[in-house]
Amino acid sequence: MRSFINPFLAVILAGLLAACSSTPTEEDTSSTDTMGQNTQTTPTTPVERPKPSKPETSSIPLTAENFHNHPSNYDGTTDTRVIYFAFDSNTVPAAAFETLRAHAKYLKENPNAKVRLEGHADERGTREYNVALSERRSEAVQKFLRVQGVSASQLETVAYGEEKPAAFGHTEMDWAKNRRVVLNYTAGRP
Amino acid sequence: MMRIINVRSVARAAAVMALTMLALGARAELMIQITEGRVDAVPIAVVPFAGAADAPENISDIVRADLHRSGQFKTLEPGDMLSRPTSADQLSFRDFRVLNQEYVVVGSMQKTDSGAYEVRYGLYDVAREKQLITESYRPPASQLRDVAHAISDRIYEELTGIQGAFSTKILYVTFNRGTQNPYQLQYADADGARVRTIVRSREPIMSPSWSPDGSKIAYVSFEKDGLPKIYVHDLASAQRRVVAQYKGINGAPAWSPDGQRLAVTLSKGGNPDIYSLDLNSGALEQLTDHYGIDTEPRWMPDGEHLVFTSSRSGGPQIYELDINDKSTRRVSFEGAYNARPDVTPDGRYLVYVHRRNGSFHVGVQDLQRGTFDIVTKTDMDESPSVAPNGSMIIYGTQYRGTGVLQAVSIDGRVKVELPSKEGEVREPAWSPFL
Repeated sequence: MRSFINPFLAVILAGLLAACSSTPTEEDTSSTDTMGQNTQTTPTTPVERPKPSKPETSSIPLTAENFHNHPSNYDGTTDTRVIYFAFDSNTVPAAAFETLRAHAKYLKENPNAKVRLEGHADERGTREYNVALSERRSEAVQKFLRVQGVSASQLETVAYGEEKPAAFGHTEMDWAKNRRVVLNYTAGRP
Repeated sequence: MMRIINVRSVARAAAVMALTMLALGARAELMIQITEGRVDAVPIAVVPFAGAADAPENISDIVRADLHRSGQFKTLEPGDMLSRPTSADQLSFRDFRVLNQEYVVVGSMQKTDSGAYEVRYGLYDVAREKQLITESYRPPASQLRDVAHAISDRIYEELTGIQGAFSTKILYVTFNRGTQNPYQLQYADADGARVRTIVRSREPIMSPSWSPDGSKIAYVSFEKDGLPKIYVHDLASAQRRVVAQYKGINGAPAWSPDGQRLAVTLSKGGNPDIYSLDLNSGALEQLTDHYGIDTEPRWMPDGEHLVFTSSRSGGPQIYELDINDKSTRRVSFEGAYNARPDVTPDGRYLVYVHRRNGSFHVGVQDLQRGTFDIVTKTDMDESPSVAPNGSMIIYGTQYRGTGVLQAVSIDGRVKVELPSKEGEVREPAWSPFL
């Protein structure tokens, strides 16, 4: 029996390797690499340094731990449609407040607009329990928008648990990208 | 001397299969490999049956693989046999005794004029030189695999005293990223053969569960509008209906032992609680009412109790609920994460996901002796499901970053891998006896 199985396993492994190589790799957090040196070397005679093309927020190293609260994930407008969460948490991160206020403003000004708040969890733990955890995240965002005065009739929540990951790897950073609520406009998209 | 056996279960399983030939697209075939066996596995020689190599299904190969995969037996490779008898009168016990074999199976399969096959075999005790079983079957070609599994069941029961579970099915969800319908609900024979697709969808499919008679399944599907609904699906007719589509979570269906009710998780009351849904009347009864998460119910065999996952003490733990007075008691105490219980048919063991040092394993709690043991070495384990004879647990885990199924015996001594050729395989549910 064994002699039949090994070639099969080889095929599986080959398939896996192929799948991996075609998978888009994680975005490089290139802004973190040289940051340390740059801030240290303060020239004594500053002569018209070019303004940083990106806001200073990008100088905060992006890690799996601060991913949910990292300013680079939120532009403060309705263009941002994903809110991230810390591990085992359903607290809306402070960095997302301005973005969510922009959505609230838009929804109040556009009563026909409707948004579905899609809650997600990372892959750790059991599936239905993760569905329940992800529901708490979508409810936290719903509560935030309600407090801002958005009508309940414009909001709907759905909990997907770990079933629809955004990142398919199995690292801490992949998990950080998957713990999220997606604001999915089902009517009156901004 | 041969008995003609009309095995009802074989005919029924075959009928279910024939009627549920749905769209057969890409099939994620399961392959099976034993990674850890028992040191005291019983040596048995299944000699190639006469005519087996020319038949559409090689019955002796299937029986040998079945017995091997159970981990209870150490099967002899045909190449190592000194002789290859195909009937009792050709059998020389000495040839198997010198190879330390305890049992030998010999047989034949022959095509008849009607196109059916005449399958005969015998099981013999080598030391006592005694015939233990002799049977014959006359299946059409389409039922040869069913007959092979029925023979495996008969041999397994004769030698272990436990009903064999080789004629059962495994229901599971597959995920193939980048395809039009990445989520599929499929089932296959317990050895991974004869894969059938039941539902395919762009949206997630979750939590498949068998009715106690094996004729129906329940599952959660987010198809069409992206919202979760619980379906009850009749396998023979492929007819299905939505039984729950409330606001919020509609999840974790589990069939009651009498087949009349589903325990489900609904969050329509503001947070996830467990309800009992009467499938005849549609009546809904709330069984838990707690601000924490209550989910993943499973019925105890008595039909009067449920075990479920609850966060009422902080992290997830296993609780038991009396459905009559709705009282609950905590059952799991080891560690900070215990979830998604299943129960053995005799009600003695709980099987659930247990986190230790950041890894998720399958643990077995002996409710009689009060002991708890981790039985897997893999570390992203989920969805354990117990075989109907209580011998093995099938579960989902990750192998090199992709979802695969594995099986382990209740005592942790036998481990079997079921890697998939393509895509992820997850959430296995072992059928009842069919």
